[in-house]
Amino acid sequence: MKLTLGVCLGLALCSNAYALDDAARFKALQIRVKALAEETAYVEAIDKIQRLGRAFGYYTDKGYFGEAADLFTEDGTFQWGADGVYKGKARIRELLTRHGGGSLKEPPGLPFGRLNLRMQLQPMVSISADGNSAHARWREWGLLGEYKKWASWGDAVMEDDYVRQNGVWKIAARRYYLNFEAPYAGGWAALKPGSGDGPSAVARDFPPDAPAPAYAAFPSLFVPPYHYAAGDVSALRSRAPFDLPRRPEDALGRLEALADAKELALARAQSVRAIENLQAMYGYFIDKGQWKRAAALFSRDATYEFGQSGVYVGGAHIERALSLMGPPGLEAGQLNNYVMVQPIIHISADNRTAKARWRSDVELSRAGKGRWGGGVYENEYVNDRGTWKFTQLHYYVTFWGDYDKGWAAQPIPMDPPSTTLPPDRPPTLLYQSFPKLQVVPYDYVNPVSGKPNAGE
Amino acid sequence: MSKHTLGLLAVALATLGASGARAAPPTEAELKALGQSLDSLGTRITRLQDLADVEIVQHAYGYYVDKAQWRSLADLFADDATLEIGGKGIFLGKKRVFEYMNTGLGPIGPHDGLLIDHQQFQCLPTINDDGLTASIRCIAFVMSSGGWGHNYYEDRFIKEDGVWKFKKLHGPFNMYGGYKEGWLDHVIVNTYPEKFPPWPDLPPSIIYLTYPSYYIEPFHYPNPVTGKPMPAPSPRAGGEAFGR
Repeated sequence: MKLTLGVCLGLALCSNAYALDDAARFKALQIRVKALAEETAYVEAIDKIQRLGRAFGYYTDKGYFGEAADLFTEDGTFQWGADGVYKGKARIRELLTRHGGGSLKEPPGLPFGRLNLRMQLQPMVSISADGNSAHARWREWGLLGEYKKWASWGDAVMEDDYVRQNGVWKIAARRYYLNFEAPYAGGWAALKPGSGDGPSAVARDFPPDAPAPAYAAFPSLFVPPYHYAAGDVSALRSRAPFDLPRRPEDALGRLEALADAKELALARAQSVRAIENLQAMYGYFIDKGQWKRAAALFSRDATYEFGQSGVYVGGAHIERALSLMGPPGLEAGQLNNYVMVQPIIHISADNRTAKARWRSDVELSRAGKGRWGGGVYENEYVNDRGTWKFTQLHYYVTFWGDYDKGWAAQPIPMDPPSTTLPPDRPPTLLYQSFPKLQVVPYDYVNPVSGKPNAGE
Repeated sequence: MSKHTLGLLAVALATLGASGARAAPPTEAELKALGQSLDSLGTRITRLQDLADVEIVQHAYGYYVDKAQWRSLADLFADDATLEIGGKGIFLGKKRVFEYMNTGLGPIGPHDGLLIDHQQFQCLPTINDDGLTASIRCIAFVMSSGGWGHNYYEDRFIKEDGVWKFKKLHGPFNMYGGYKEGWLDHVIVNTYPEKFPPWPDLPPSIIYLTYPSYYIEPFHYPNPVTGKPMPAPSPRAGGEAFGR
C-alpha cells in the first residue's frame, strides 16, 4: 500500500497510473473536489481572521468600543497586560472604553484631544485541523495621548483564540501582553526597571474578573507564549509542488484538467498566506533574540544579508549573523523590535518559489540608548515539499536614527561587515543609508502598467 | 499526515477498489454537477487572489511614494480615477494625479536628505460580489524628515482587463506632528485647497478636522461579526464631518 501511495504521489495523481474506468475516475475526482472545498475554506478562514484583527484596530482608533467588543463571543475574554482577565462583551467594552478614553453613555467617538491610534500588525495565523477554531499572534503599535497633557508610544503582542459559530468567525480570547507604554519624551529606552509592573490606573477602579498569568513588562525580558510549538510549521504549509498532468480528451478529462488548474490556483493563494506567516514568525523570533528558531526557517543553502553586513550562507552562519544583534534571549533592557509590514508577495506560476518585498521598522534599545530604524526587505522563498522557507533574506537599510534627536538630526550610519564573525561574501551592493537615499530594486514590475519602471 | 496526502490516499484506495468490480460510468447530469462545484470553487479562489492583488496595488503605491516615483505611482490609477488627500480637494484623472504629486509634494525621484517614508499598514480589502470592484481601508504611517503622520486610506478599485487599478483614492488625515514633541503639542492641522499648488478640480467632498479634533471616515464594510453598518459617531468635538 505504501508503495502504491508512493507511486501515486510520484505521478502527482493516480488516474494515469492505472487504466481506470470512468466510474473510478469520476469517484476520484469527486474526492478531489471535496478536498479542494476544504482547502479553500482554510485559506478563506485565514483572511477572515486577519480581517477581524484589523477591524478591531479601526474601531478602537476612533472610540467604537462597542463595535470592537462585538467582535468577541458572548463569553469572550480579554486579558489586559498584567492587570487580569475581563469576561464577556459588556466588560470588554468597558475595559476598552476606559483605556481608550471614550464614554459608555454617549454614541461612539473620542473626546477632543484624545489620541488612541492602535495599529494592528504582523498577523501569524494558524487554523485548526477541523477548521472551526484558530489562533493568531499580532503586534500592536500604539500612538496614544491627550493633547498638551501627554504623548506615549505603545507596544504589545497579542495571542488570540478564535472560534467559528454558525459560520461566523469571532474572537474567543485575547491575551494582550502590553510590553510598554513609554512617554514620547525619552521613549522606551528611558523606562526604569519595574515601571511597567503593578496594576494600571484602569484596573484599580475597574478590577478584572480573574488574575492574569505572571509576566514582566519592558525593560524586563519576557516572551509572550506562542500558540505554536518550536518546530511547528503547520501555518507555513501549502500544497507541495506538482506538475500538471496530461488528461484524456474526454468530458471527464476536461473536468480533471479544470480541477488541476483550480488546485494550483488555490495552492498559490494559500502560499501567499504561508509566506505572510513565515515572515511574521521570523519577526517575532528576532524580537526576542531567538536566533536558533529564526535560523531554522531558512532552507539549507539560504543567504542572509542585513545592510552592509555582507552575505552569510547556510543555517549555522545565519544564526551567527543574527547573534551580532545580541546574546541569545537578549540582554537586560534590550529592545529588538523588528516590525514586519507592507508585503508584496509574488508566487511563481508553478508554486515552487516566491519573492516578496516587505518593509520593516525597527525599535531598539541597548544600555539605555534608544534607536529608530527603517528599511525594506527583498526576500526569496522556496516551497520545500509543502513547507515555505527562506532562500534569501536581504534587508536594505533606509535609515538609522538616534531616538532623542531623531533620524533627521542624528542619522546613524550602517555597521560595516563584522570582523569578529565575518560574512562568507562581501555585500552584494554598496550603498549608504539616510541622509543618502536610493531606490531598493523591485523584484516585480508595476502591478498595473506591467512596466519595470516609468523612468524615474 | 496532511489533509492533501489523506485525499491522495483516498484517491489511491478508490482506484484500487475500482479495479475489481466495474461500476456504472457517471451520467451527464453528474458530470455537470461536478463541473458546477468546480466553477463555484473557482470563483471563491479568484476572490482570494483578488484580495491579495488589491493589497499589492495599495502597498506598491506606498513604496512609490517613498521615493517620489510619481510616474510609476500614477500608472497605478485608471484613466478616469480620482484622488483626494487631506483637505486639498479632488483631482480628476490620471494626469492630475501625477500633477498633484509632482507639483504638490515635490519634484520627481528621491532627494538625499529628504525622507518621506509612506508606510502602508493594516490593510482590510473587500471584493464586491461583482468581482470587478473592490474597496480597501488602510493606514498610512508616515516617518519623514519632518516627523510623523497617520492617515487612513479608504480607496476604491476597478478590475479592467483582468488588472486591478485605483478608481478612487481617498486619504483622510488623522494626525501630523513634528519629531521634537510628536503629537503632544504643535500638531499640523489638515490641508486646504489653496494651501499649495496645484489647485483642485473639485472642492473637498467633506470638510473635517484632524488631531487634536478627530474625524471618522466611514468604514466601507459592516461589522464582521454582527453584520451591522457603523452607528453614527458622537457629534462632539468634530466627530462628524461637515457637508456629508
